[in-house]
Amino acid sequence: MPSQDLLDPAPSLFEDEDTACVSVPPARYDAMPDPGGTPASAITVATLTAATRDILEGAVPPVWVRGEVVGFKEHRSGHWYFTLKDAEAQIRCVAWASDARRFLAAPDEGMAVIVRGQLTVFPGRGELQFRVRALEGVGEGLWRKALEVTRARLEADGLLAAERKRSLPFLPRCIAVVTSTDGAALHDVAAVIRRRCPATRIVAVEATVQGREAAASVRAALARVCRWGGADLVIVGRGGGSREDLWAFNDERLARAVADMPVPVISAVGHEIDVTLCDLVADWRAPTPSAAAEAAVPQLADLVRQLGDLRDALGAAVLERLGAARQRLRVAGGAVSGAAAQVVERRGLRLQGLGGRLDALSPLATLARGYAVLHGVSGQAITSTSGLAAGDRFMVRLRDGRVDGLAERVEPGPPLTPATPRAP
Amino acid sequence: MSFEASVRRVEEIVRALEGEELALERALLLFEEGIACLREASLELSKAEQAVRLLRERADGSFDTPELRA
Repeated sequence: MPSQDLLDPAPSLFEDEDTACVSVPPARYDAMPDPGGTPASAITVATLTAATRDILEGAVPPVWVRGEVVGFKEHRSGHWYFTLKDAEAQIRCVAWASDARRFLAAPDEGMAVIVRGQLTVFPGRGELQFRVRALEGVGEGLWRKALEVTRARLEADGLLAAERKRSLPFLPRCIAVVTSTDGAALHDVAAVIRRRCPATRIVAVEATVQGREAAASVRAALARVCRWGGADLVIVGRGGGSREDLWAFNDERLARAVADMPVPVISAVGHEIDVTLCDLVADWRAPTPSAAAEAAVPQLADLVRQLGDLRDALGAAVLERLGAARQRLRVAGGAVSGAAAQVVERRGLRLQGLGGRLDALSPLATLARGYAVLHGVSGQAITSTSGLAAGDRFMVRLRDGRVDGLAERVEPGPPLTPATPRAP
Repeated sequence: MSFEASVRRVEEIVRALEGEELALERALLLFEEGIACLREASLELSKAEQAVRLLRERADGSFDTPELRA
């Protein structure tokens, strides 16, 4: 039974190349008198190939070359070997592991690529060889492949499972926004949160979101948020950009860091069409930073209304309860009525006191920011244009005092309908 | 208690009050608790953060969050 190496000798042969390239002795052909000019001064094969290599490398600077990949093979050492060809020619290519690991993905058979590298000679075979230092896909092929490979790995680890998704806090106290502090994304997020819910604190966590360092930088920022521990929700993202700009958010280690966050994460990589791996592992995906902010916080006005409704329901329920008790006592009547009435009276007084506290609790009184209450001259609250006529005096109660006014003109319009509840 | 927890508690209390079996004394206690929860919830809403802050980690591993200058 032949061994794997016998079946496939090429990798081990190529494998020697690293050493071969450095172990070829310095070319001596120019040191000899008339090297190779006579049988006596015949040069070695190694000298010939070394001379050829020196001349080639000196004459052809690093270049970009386009072609199709055929015969791709990744050696166990991580080196890549393939042939680049077009309709008329082909050349053997090698990408050493140290370079190959930086490339987006291994190209498929027949995939069109552009490579940058150095034309050289592989002395072990006396062949022309192109040493590839950079490899890019033509079109989307290579991007998609890279994405699919990483995605499959994340999926195998269960990181994309729907049941992993955590629900977002109903009213976050503090949101960490991981993005560039001078980008539009932070500005957009802050503007939306300030408008919808000024009660929520926003803490920016600086990260580079573009270029080679972006993935590591965002990862470091997430780690900082974890060490700090002050946020109950994280928004990570950036504004729109080209596919290359957004590529950092497809980084496997970054995606895993997002999945590992101890608090829910909203991913907001500004791109409507492409979904990044960060989007897939995050607890909530927003197409833009603004949309992330909308999903992150409720409308304060809705909450105010909710509290008001609850307050009314609570008051009504307890009044109902008290009314029923009073009724029962009244029905019991008779000899005990005096004492029982006193009990009910006492409780009635207590209820009045509570009712007063209920009024003082009015969210509109404490929720000062941006809200005002309009009162008529007799103190009644005015909630409709029908409560005022031109020439009427009124009073506006604000957080820090009151303003008296005179209605110049009353213009009824269609009533505002309550906002619908937010999505998540 | 978080806003959400406060609201949920008040909702529970309202449901309990609307049930029939509660003794009056118990009902009033629940009502008072509901008021306290509502107060806490509205306090939560009344916070008004103005500035965006910046998370800074010092060399000793401690953090501060100064206002972010735009």
